[in-house]
Amino acid sequence: MDNLEQKFNETIKMGLDIVKETEEDRLMTLSVGPQHPGSGHFRFTIKVDGDYIVYCDPDPGYVHRGEEKMCEYRNFIQNIPHLERPIIHDSTNITYSYSLAVEELANIQVPLRGQYIRALASELNRQVYTLYWLAIYGIFLGHSTMFMWPMGDRELFIDLLEALTGARVTHAFNIPGGVRNDVPEGFKDRCLRQVAYFEKRLTEYEDIFYNNPLFRQRTEGVGILTKDNAIKLGVTGSVLRASGIPFDVRKAEPYDIYNEIDFKIQYMKTCDSFARSTVPFLDMKESCHIIRQLLDKMPKSGEVRAKLQPNPKGPPGESYKRVESGRGALGYYIVSDGTPKPYRVKISVGSFRNMLALPFLLIGSKLADMPSIYWSLNYWPVEADR
Amino acid sequence: MRSGDRDSIMIKDLVNPTNFNILVGKLGDALTRALDQPLGYAINWGRIWSLWPVHLETACCSVEFGAASGPRYDVERFGIIEAFGSLRQCDLIVVQGTVTRKMAPRLRMVYDQMPDPKYVIAMGACAITGGLYIDSYNVLPGVDGIIPVDVYVPGCPPRPETLIQGTMLLQEKIKRLKIR
Repeated sequence: MDNLEQKFNETIKMGLDIVKETEEDRLMTLSVGPQHPGSGHFRFTIKVDGDYIVYCDPDPGYVHRGEEKMCEYRNFIQNIPHLERPIIHDSTNITYSYSLAVEELANIQVPLRGQYIRALASELNRQVYTLYWLAIYGIFLGHSTMFMWPMGDRELFIDLLEALTGARVTHAFNIPGGVRNDVPEGFKDRCLRQVAYFEKRLTEYEDIFYNNPLFRQRTEGVGILTKDNAIKLGVTGSVLRASGIPFDVRKAEPYDIYNEIDFKIQYMKTCDSFARSTVPFLDMKESCHIIRQLLDKMPKSGEVRAKLQPNPKGPPGESYKRVESGRGALGYYIVSDGTPKPYRVKISVGSFRNMLALPFLLIGSKLADMPSIYWSLNYWPVEADR
Repeated sequence: MRSGDRDSIMIKDLVNPTNFNILVGKLGDALTRALDQPLGYAINWGRIWSLWPVHLETACCSVEFGAASGPRYDVERFGIIEAFGSLRQCDLIVVQGTVTRKMAPRLRMVYDQMPDPKYVIAMGACAITGGLYIDSYNVLPGVDGIIPVDVYVPGCPPRPETLIQGTMLLQEKIKRLKIR
C-alpha cells in the first residue's frame, strides 16, 4: 500500500494528469421517473455502488394541485368532486372521511340505511383499488398475466359501482348526510353473484402469482421493515400490518356501522416485500365477507340521506375523522369559522406516510429489488402530492 | 415567376453560399412531394397501425389509460401498443390529465426528445383547459400552451371508449396528412 502511495506521489511530482479514484467516483447516479414505465407520477434519485443502492432521494410533488387551498374557496358540498380526484380508483374512501368530518362539524345524523350503503360502496371500491394496484405490481415485476387478470376482474366491480353510482371511477357518492342515491333494483343478487365469482378467482390468483417460485424469490426476504422501524417511520395500512402490527381503523376506531360487522384484521409477521404484497390480497378476501354481511344486515327500506339546508354549515370549531382506505388511515382535519366554506382543510393520506419508508428500505438493497420494494409500499403518487 | 428565368436563378443560388441551404431545402421539398403521391399512402398506413405512446403519466387520467390497455378495452387491436418503451422510439404522447408547474418542463423535455413525426392527444378536461383545477395556483390552463395538440379527448376522466375514439380520430387525421 505504501508502495502505491509512493508511486502516486511520484507521478504527481512528474506533473502527469492522474487523479486518484475516490469513493464518490465509484457511485453512479440514476434518476427514476417521471418518464419511467413503473414509477408513475413520481421521481426518485438513487446512487448505486455496483449492484447496491447507497443513496435514495424521493422527489414528490409532480401532481401537486393545491387541493387544500382550493377547499377554502368552495363550500362543503362543492368540495366533494375535486377531493376525490387525488385517488380516483378509491374515490369512495377519500370522500368517506371528509363526509364524516363535515357531519361532525355540522352535527348531522346519517340514516341507518345510508350508513350501510356507504360502507358497501366503500368495500366495493377497496376491491377496485387493490386490483388496480395488483395489476401494476404484476406488470412492474414482468408478470403480464397478473396485469391482465386483475384488470379484467376490476371491470366487473366497476360495473357494479357504475350501476350503484352512475360513474365509472369518479363517483361523488358520499356526501355529508348520507349517500347520493339508493341502490338500484336487483343490486343485491348481482353483487352476491359477483362476490362468489371473485372468491373463486382469488384462489387462482394465489396459484399463479403468490405461489409462483419466481415471484417468491424476488420478494421473500427483500426490504425488511421490522416492527420497531415501522412504528418509528409512521407507516400505515397494509405496510404496517405486514410488519406484524394488527392495526385497522375499522377495528380501532369503528365509524358508522363497522362495529356491527364481524371481520378479522389480516396481518403477517415476515416484514418483507412478500408480506406487504400479500396483506392487500388477504384484505380483498376479508372484504368479500364484509360485503356479504352488509347486504344481509342492510335495512330493507328507509331514507338514505339526511335532509340538509342548501349550504350546510356548523358552528365554529374543528373536527378530525379518519377511515381505513386501500392504503391505510386516511384522515381529514377541518377547521370551520361558522361560514358555509371551510377555514382550513388538511388531508392526511396513507400514501405519503408509506413513501417516507422508501429511502429507508432502498438503501442497502440491490437495484434489481427496487421494483418489488417500491410498489409493495402501496403508494399512489397523486394522492401523496394532493 | 416566368419559366424562362428559372435557370439563371438556379446558377446564381449555387454561386451564393448563403442561398445554397435554401436551394437544398427546396430540393428536399420537391423530393417529398414526388414521393407523396406514390408512397405517401403506404408510409401513413404504416404509421397509423403502429402508434407507440410514451409512458409519461401527468395526473389521474392514467387510471383510465391503464384500463384502456386492459383486457376489456384492449387498445392494441387499434394499433396502439402498450406504453412500456423508450421515448426515443415513440411517436405518440397522451397527456393524461392535469399538467402542473413542476411537470410542464418535463413534459416539454419528453416531447423534444421524441423523433419526428410525433402526435399529441390531450386526454381529460384538465389537459384541455385546466378543468376542475382551473383556479388552482399550481396548474397550467391547458397543455396546448407548451406542446401542439392534435386531438382533444374530453371527459373527467374520459371513459376508455372515448380515448379509443380519440385515437381513431388521430388515425383519420394521419391518413390525410402529407408525409414529412
